[in-house]
Amino acid sequence: MTRTRSPRSRSKRRPSRGLRPLLGWAVKLGLVGLVVLAGFAVYLDAVVQEKFSGKRWTVPAKVYARPLELFVGQKLAKDDFLKEVDALGYRRETAVDGPGGVSVAGNTIELHSRGFQFYEGNEPSQRVRVRFSGDYVAALSQANGSNLAVARLEPMLIGGLYPAHQEDRVLIKLDQVPPYLIETLVAVEDREFFNHFGVSPKSVARAIWVNASAGQVRQGGSTLTQQLVKNFYLTNERSLTRKATEAMMAVLLELHYDKREILEAYLNEVFLGQDGQRAVHGFGLASQYFFSQPLSELKLHQVALLVGMVKGPTFYNPRRNPERALERRNLVLDVLAEQGVASAEEVETAKQRPLGVTQRGSMANSSFPAFLDLVKRQLREDYREEDLTEEGLRIFTSFDPILQLKAESALSDSLKRLSGRKGVDEVEAGMVVTNPETGEVQAMIGSRQPRFAGFNRAIDAVRPIGSLIKPAIYLTALERPSQYTLTSFLEDEPFSVKGQDGQVWRPQNYDRKAHGTIYLYQGLVHSYNLSTAKLGLELGVPTVLKTLDRMGVSRQWPAYPSMLLGAGALSPLDVAGMYQTLANGGFNTPLRGIRSVLTAEGQPLGRYPYQIQQRFDAGAIYLLQNAMQRTMREGTGRSVYNQLPASLALAGKTGTSNDSRDSWFAGFGQDVLAVVWLGRDDNGPTPLTGATGALQVWTDFMRKADPLPLDMPMPDNVVQAWINPTTGQGSDPSCPGAVQMPYIRGSEPAAGQACGIQAPVDSVMDWVRGWLD
Amino acid sequence: MAKWLIPVLTASMVLGGCASVPRGSIPVVDSGTSASELQDGGSAGYASAAPQASMQSAPEDSGVVVMVPGGSSAPIQTFPASGAGGGIANQQPLTFGSGSDVPAAPSSGTFTAPSMPSQPSGIPSGGGLAADEQLDGPVLALLTSAQQLQGSGDLNGAASSLERAQRIAPREPQVLYRLAEVRLAQGDAAQAEQFARRGLSYASGRPALQASLWDLIAQARERQGDPAGAAQAREQARVNL
Repeated sequence: MTRTRSPRSRSKRRPSRGLRPLLGWAVKLGLVGLVVLAGFAVYLDAVVQEKFSGKRWTVPAKVYARPLELFVGQKLAKDDFLKEVDALGYRRETAVDGPGGVSVAGNTIELHSRGFQFYEGNEPSQRVRVRFSGDYVAALSQANGSNLAVARLEPMLIGGLYPAHQEDRVLIKLDQVPPYLIETLVAVEDREFFNHFGVSPKSVARAIWVNASAGQVRQGGSTLTQQLVKNFYLTNERSLTRKATEAMMAVLLELHYDKREILEAYLNEVFLGQDGQRAVHGFGLASQYFFSQPLSELKLHQVALLVGMVKGPTFYNPRRNPERALERRNLVLDVLAEQGVASAEEVETAKQRPLGVTQRGSMANSSFPAFLDLVKRQLREDYREEDLTEEGLRIFTSFDPILQLKAESALSDSLKRLSGRKGVDEVEAGMVVTNPETGEVQAMIGSRQPRFAGFNRAIDAVRPIGSLIKPAIYLTALERPSQYTLTSFLEDEPFSVKGQDGQVWRPQNYDRKAHGTIYLYQGLVHSYNLSTAKLGLELGVPTVLKTLDRMGVSRQWPAYPSMLLGAGALSPLDVAGMYQTLANGGFNTPLRGIRSVLTAEGQPLGRYPYQIQQRFDAGAIYLLQNAMQRTMREGTGRSVYNQLPASLALAGKTGTSNDSRDSWFAGFGQDVLAVVWLGRDDNGPTPLTGATGALQVWTDFMRKADPLPLDMPMPDNVVQAWINPTTGQGSDPSCPGAVQMPYIRGSEPAAGQACGIQAPVDSVMDWVRGWLD
Repeated sequence: MAKWLIPVLTASMVLGGCASVPRGSIPVVDSGTSASELQDGGSAGYASAAPQASMQSAPEDSGVVVMVPGGSSAPIQTFPASGAGGGIANQQPLTFGSGSDVPAAPSSGTFTAPSMPSQPSGIPSGGGLAADEQLDGPVLALLTSAQQLQGSGDLNGAASSLERAQRIAPREPQVLYRLAEVRLAQGDAAQAEQFARRGLSYASGRPALQASLWDLIAQARERQGDPAGAAQAREQARVNL
C-alpha cells in the first residue's frame, strides 16, 4: 500500500505535462470507474432482490383475549358488552354501516361484526342484533330477524412476543387498504410516484428550489421508492454516498418490481410510532395501535392523520402532541382538496372530526403484563423463540378483559380504603382469577401497579399460605366417613408435640383462646388452629400432604407438624390450582391460559385441550364445600355478606401467616374463583390479616364480577339429615331448632323422634329454612 | 523517473482501489448494520419454513399433562354407596355405619353380573341419547358443528368446538358425553373416561344418558386394558337403562 500511495502523490504533483496524455488518462480512468460502478450496481441488485423476494418481514406472535360469546341466556351486562365493543374499535353509529359499526337503542344493540379465523373455523362477518335484559342476553338474532344461536366477536389483541429489535407490524395486502389511503399518500409524499422510475428529477429540482429559497432543508426530494429503500435496506445516515446508493437501489427496485408491490411494501415498512420498547411499523399496526380498528375500516380523517404522521411519527404523535397532529392532519386534508383527491365537502366534514385515537387507560389501550407473562412462559415451553417472535403466530387465550379490569379496580379501590392503616402503602399484591368450570385463567395481577411489567407476584411470590391449607386437612378427614363427619366432635384445647428434631411444637389460636369441644366443621369455619392441628396429627402429616398433592400442589414439603398450619409456601397461581380442585367437584385440572395456536395463515398449529382428572370423591367435596360456605356465612369470611347479597352462595378460606406477613384469601362461586395475596416484598409484617386485607379485595372483586351462586349437584352418596344443633344427635324436621346437615350416606346420625304435631306451620317453615340454609 | 512508470502506478492504484471496493463501499455494507441484520432476519425467515412444519407435526398433547399422584390409574368411586357394586378400587374405601345399606337409587347393585355381549368399540354415533334430551340453541348449534368437523375427520376441530360448548354450558352432560366420545376417537381413553365421569355427576335423573355415559366408560376402560372395570361399567349401563 505504501508503494501505491507515494506514486499517487507524485502523479498529483505533475498536473500539467501536456493536455493530451491527461485526457487519455481521464478516459481510461472513466472506463475503470464505469466498470467499478457496474460491479457495484450488480452487487446492489443482488442485495435489492435478495431481500425483496420471499419473506420480507418477521412478525411477532400476536396474543388475543378470549372472544366474547353471544347467546341467549348468557350472563353479560350491557355496559360490560359496550365496554368491550368500544375497545374493539367499533364505531357508534345511528344506523350500522358496514363491519365495525354498532348502534345502541335502549337495551337493543345492533352491530356488524368483522369476522375472524378461529381454531374451530371461520366466524363470519355478520349483522347481529342483541337485546339485553338485566344482566343477561335476552335475545339474539341476525339483523334481518333470522335465527342466530350463537355468535362471537373478534378477540381483542392484548399483546405480542417481540424479538430483540422489537419491530412490530400487522401485515396488510394492497386490497385491504381503505379508500383514499393510496391517493393521500401519493399526494402528500410523492406526487410523481406512478410516473417516475424510482427517482424523480422533477421532485429533486423542486426540493432544491424550495430549500434554496428557504435557506434551509425544508423538503426532501425522496420518492416513496427511495423512502422504502432507505428504511428497508439502509440506515438513517445522511451523506451523499448513501444518497447515491439509495437512488441506485430505488432504480433497481423499480426495474424488478411493479408499483403495486413497491407500494404494498412501503405501507408495511413505514415507521409510524414508538410504543415503549416496541416500534410501530406499517399502516396495519398503526391503525390498530391508534384507533383499535382494522385498516380497511378507516375513514378519510383517520387516513389523513396516519399519512400526515409519516413525516414525523414522534413529532406528530396524536396522543402526545394532539394539537400538532390535528394541524398536520388538516393540512393533509387541504392538500387532498387542492389536488382534487377528495371533494371540498368531504374534506370539510373530515376536518370537523376529532382525532379519534383511543385513550390511554381504556380497555383497548392497556397492557396486561402479568397475564402475558403467564402466556409467554407456557409458550416458551412448547415453541422455539424464533417461531414465537418471527412467524406471526396467533395465540388464543382465555384472558377476559372485563374480569381483569374489575379485578384491577377492586384491588386499587380496596387498597385505597385500607390506606389509612399504617404500613399498607408498602403492601404489594398478587391476584389470580380462574373459571373453575373450565380450568381457564381469566385474569391476573402481578403488582399493585397492574400496568407495571416486572416481578409477577401472581406466579413468583411464593409465600407461606397459613390457614389456606386447612381445607386439605378437613378433606382428608371427610374422606373417611366412618371416622369423621361434619358434626364429629373435636377438642380445641392446647397441646404440644415433640417433633423429630426434638423441638416442641405448641400451636395457638389466633385469639389465644381454647374453644373446648366443637363440631368438626366449626374448626374450619372459625379457622381454629388447635383443633385443626390436632385433627391433622390424628390423620398424619404425610397423609395430609398427600391430599395436597392430589389437589394439585406439587411441592416437596417436609412432613413437619407446622405444615398443618400453613408453614409451606405457595404462589397465588398454585393456590388457584389447589382450590380449583375443590371448586370443580374434586376434579383436578391443570390451569390453562392458552386455548390454541394458529399460524399466520390461519392454519391450526397447537391446542391446549381441557383435561380433567377425578382426584376426590364428590361426596367428600360436597361436605367440604358446605363447610367452606359456612365459613362465609358464619365464620372468618362472614364480612363478605356486608357487601354481597345473601342469595349468593360462596365458599372460601382466609389465610394469615405469622405476624401477618401474608394476607391471603381464596374462594369461589360457581363460575369464578379468585385468589388474592397481599404482603410485602421484603417479607415484613403488615397490618392486614387474611380477613382484613385480602378478603376485602376479594369481596370487592366478587361484587363487581357478580358470579353465579355455588351450586354443586348433591352426589348420590350424600344425604341430608336433620340434627339437633346442640347435641349433634339425629332430629326431625318437626322439632324446633332442628337443622339440616349433609352426610355421606350411612354416616348420618339415626333419625330422631318427631316432636309431635304441636306447630305444623313452624315445622314447615323450619323445613323450608333448612333447605334455604 | 521514467514516464512509463506513471500509468503503471496509476493503474495499480486504481486496481488496488477496485480490489477493496467491497470493503470501501461503506454506505451499503459497513454502515448498513441494520440492513444486514434485517437480511439475517430475512434469511432466518426462509429457513424457518422447515421448523414450522416440525411444529405442525407436534401433537396437541404438547400442552398439558395431567399428573397422576401415586401413579394409580384406579378411578375414584363416584357412587360409593353401591359398595362393591362398582367394584372399583378406592384409595380410601368408604365404610359406612352399621348395616345401613340404603341403596343409591340409580346405581343400586345387582351383584350378579351377567356377561354383557361386548359392544363394538367404535365411536358411538350419539344414538345413545334419548330423544327427550332437550338442548337449547347455542349448545345444539355447537354440538352440530362438532359433529360435522368430526365427520370430516377433523377431531381436533371437533374437540375444540365441544370445549367451546362446554364453556357455554359447563354443566350440560351431553356436551361432556360428546367430549368423551371425541377424546376416545382421538385415542385418549383415560381422558374419555374422566369426561364421561364428569358427565355422570351432572346426569342425575337422566337414566338414558347415564347408561350412555357408563357405556362410554366401559369402552374407555377396555381401551385402557381394564376388562374387569369395563364389565362393571357395562353392568352400570345396563342397570341404568
